[in-house]
Amino acid sequence: MDQTTVKKSRYGMAIDLDRCTGCGACLIACAVENNVSPGQPKVNERNGTTWMRVFEVQDGRPFPDAQTAFIPMMCQQCEVETPCVSVCPQNAVEVDPETGIVGQIPQRCLGCRYCMTACPYHARYYNWWDPKWPDGMEKALNPDVAPRMRGVVEKCNFCHGRLHEARARAAAQGSRQINPSDYIPACVEACPVQAIAFGDLNDESTDVALLARSERAFRFLARLGTETKVYYLSGRDWVRRLADRELARSKKETLHG
Amino acid sequence: MDKLLITRGVQRSPFWKFILWILPWAMLLAWGLYGAYLCLAEGLNQTNMDNRFAFGLWIYLDLTVIAFGAGAFFTGFLLYILKRHELKSVINSAVVLGLICYSGAIVVLMVDVGQPLRAWFTFWHPNVHSMLTEVTFCLTLYLTVLILEYAPIVMKNRQIRKVPSYLVFEFNLHKLMVVFAGVGAFLSFFHQGSLGGLYGVLRGRPFAFREDLGIWPSTFFLFVLSAMAAGPSFVLLTTWLVEKLSKKRLVKRETMSYLGKLSGVMLIIYILFKSVDTLIWINSTSPSSGFPAFEYYDRAAFGTWVLFAEVVLFGLLPALVLLRKKLRERMVWLIPSAVFVLAGVALNRFVLTIQTLALPTLVFDEFLSYMPSWQEVATFSMVIAYGVLLYSLSFRYLHLFPQERELTQPY
Amino acid sequence: MLPWVYEFRWDAGHIIFLGVFFSVLIIIASTLMRALMRAIGDFKNRRVDHVMWEVAFEDLPEPARACRHQLSGEVAHRTCPNEFDCRDCVSHELFLRANPVPPAGTGPQAPEEEQLFGLSFPLDRYYDRGHTWVKPAADGTLLVGLNDLGTRLLGSVENIQLPEIGSTMHVHGTAWQVSTRGADTRILSPVEGTVVDVGGPGKEWYLKVRPEGNGDALRHLLRGAEIKPWLTRELERLQFALSEDGVGMSLADGGVPVEDLPRSAPKADWDAVWGEMFLEA
Repeated sequence: MDQTTVKKSRYGMAIDLDRCTGCGACLIACAVENNVSPGQPKVNERNGTTWMRVFEVQDGRPFPDAQTAFIPMMCQQCEVETPCVSVCPQNAVEVDPETGIVGQIPQRCLGCRYCMTACPYHARYYNWWDPKWPDGMEKALNPDVAPRMRGVVEKCNFCHGRLHEARARAAAQGSRQINPSDYIPACVEACPVQAIAFGDLNDESTDVALLARSERAFRFLARLGTETKVYYLSGRDWVRRLADRELARSKKETLHG
Repeated sequence: MDKLLITRGVQRSPFWKFILWILPWAMLLAWGLYGAYLCLAEGLNQTNMDNRFAFGLWIYLDLTVIAFGAGAFFTGFLLYILKRHELKSVINSAVVLGLICYSGAIVVLMVDVGQPLRAWFTFWHPNVHSMLTEVTFCLTLYLTVLILEYAPIVMKNRQIRKVPSYLVFEFNLHKLMVVFAGVGAFLSFFHQGSLGGLYGVLRGRPFAFREDLGIWPSTFFLFVLSAMAAGPSFVLLTTWLVEKLSKKRLVKRETMSYLGKLSGVMLIIYILFKSVDTLIWINSTSPSSGFPAFEYYDRAAFGTWVLFAEVVLFGLLPALVLLRKKLRERMVWLIPSAVFVLAGVALNRFVLTIQTLALPTLVFDEFLSYMPSWQEVATFSMVIAYGVLLYSLSFRYLHLFPQERELTQPY
Repeated sequence: MLPWVYEFRWDAGHIIFLGVFFSVLIIIASTLMRALMRAIGDFKNRRVDHVMWEVAFEDLPEPARACRHQLSGEVAHRTCPNEFDCRDCVSHELFLRANPVPPAGTGPQAPEEEQLFGLSFPLDRYYDRGHTWVKPAADGTLLVGLNDLGTRLLGSVENIQLPEIGSTMHVHGTAWQVSTRGADTRILSPVEGTVVDVGGPGKEWYLKVRPEGNGDALRHLLRGAEIKPWLTRELERLQFALSEDGVGMSLADGGVPVEDLPRSAPKADWDAVWGEMFLEA
């Protein structure tokens, strides 16, 4: 194989909602890995930063039949008509053609937040405050990921620090092709029930490619046509119906966010 | 005291009265500057915007004042290019209003973005596919044009005109005004449109998303039309207000009525397109992306009355009044109609900014509300106060209404 | 933004978008440059006086810009398109052909001096719309003075700035400046030429000018039968200007305006009145 060409990847995820217990380990692992600063005193649910947010949903049936599911929601890595890319006035959002990952470049970001209004998944976060870490905690920062300044937007990028490290490791061995086991995002690694599978969707042999093709797989708001690369899995009908407003409405169930 | 700065032969209130009028606005401006300073120094945590409500009062204000400021380009286009000379009596006032609206909007935008010092990135590394890039480029260029249109008015101040080089330059610049009027109309078409396109392209927000007409979504054209309807009404309303406050007749009644007619004609065209667009959106665009349109009008105070108010109450109704010569010639009909036109356009900008962001997309997400913080309101008031001050100063020291002397002297 | 700047691509989007941007920028910049060049040209061609008068004329209220042939009743309504400079006016030529006006002092019934509304307006001279008169002298020079109404309007002048001997006058450029009661008023020059001598208030004339140009030098000035209708209109304008802010002063029919108007009506807005009557916006 030609050493100068790199096989094109389409990194994606499959999250099994029937396994997820809502423990939140993924959130913590994500924040630690990506140097997301702890919330400021006045922070609330709506202006804090977490690249990953876990929604709790119920099927609305009375106890003891009530069922609950947890839906981790992060950047869905839209592949087609990526809403945030076309709106950014200064090219601060770009899709990497080699990995399919939607990258946010905070150094270029103006902080106009137009991308946030464009995102149907509300997966983008704005730095309303200067990032601050309690004394001593800055020693625990991840040296592979640059912290972001106040006034710029950030979001999940499938742990690009880890991707760079995997590439460096491959380069050290004289290869341009990374070893898949070297590149695993923090949330995937942290999940105690292994609810998240990650890998190259172009490679048919990966777990994630298999799961994405399974009958239990679905994607949220698929009819927007943005071809997200984060798949969700569930065998439960009421959970699957949450993917689409019309489907959800067809079954008159009360849902609580 | 300042008499020698005031245009010869026009009556202005005594200096102390003018100071009394200016003072509260100057205080409001100072309060607003403090609010804006807090937002710049401490960051946007001073606002009540959040990750879901990423746009708020400011963007709404920007869209609205820019629509109102369209009077400058529309009047200039009609006067200099289509040679509607009756508009000569309001063009100076329209230019000042345009300048206030656009410069105010840009100031607020600079507070609104998180990293204003990086604004030049948009010019240096533009993403030419973004509506916001189009807006940024056009707004900057158009503000330059407005300053060049305002400069001659300033240079004709009683004292400044005594400097021969200024006056000779003014004279020559004025002769080329047709070029600026043309460029202004061209730029305005694009940025008024792109402001509409801003929302129309939001595929991820089916409440705002619209089908493409050519390379732009339909909201592009709807914004152009509605701005052209709002512009003359705004010029009309401010002129009327200044007449009331200064207790003087400033323009001929025919001109007022003509401005009303312009608004009426543009409004009826706008309402027609808007109705067709809304029907297509309700029946096709929105459902095809999985969003039943009736759900949008099922939340909080945002009932279908919003749509009714936008299209009928503040749309069809004033349009029909303004299109009738007999009615628009009477102030009791003309002025409320102009207010209704402006209310309709303001409501349209409000709905597209606020309702778009309040509505959830994910099934398990909720409808959110947002109330601006005092810092946001202060920054908003800063622009209002700045506008009142700049207009008051211009009205006092510059010759804004060429017909004023004629109308006060009964030949 | 530029081809060598990172993120630039030679695709249709960039070419069209930036092409339009730079075109607009060039149009704005070149228009500005053009205005600047023309302004410099005006200075070089000594057109400054003319430009300043043209701007002032544009700002006059429409009734103040009436054509002399409207005042004389030859046409119902006509606004002067030439800033009161009839020397090259084609319409004036046509009006004259239909209704010739003889040169001053040569009319059939030209008395030595004529009293109009109690004001002295001798018919041996020409009158400009800015309340100056021109009288050709025997040596070929032109004497320029302030007419009776103008003199009474200004009253006792506190300060006067006369041009230097040897300076050039342009038609409707500034002849001299007076300042009274803190307000400056410029008096329009009725003729074109070089100042050879200066007089002043209390003297018979203000300026002695050696004219330039051809025999048309006085063509734009009022004479003979044209004076009365014009003066009637001027007194009307004065009446309105004075009554505007409720001073209530009236120039009763046939009443003679007093020698020093400002002194007899000190409360009137004389700054506005002078602006109105001396055609200064």
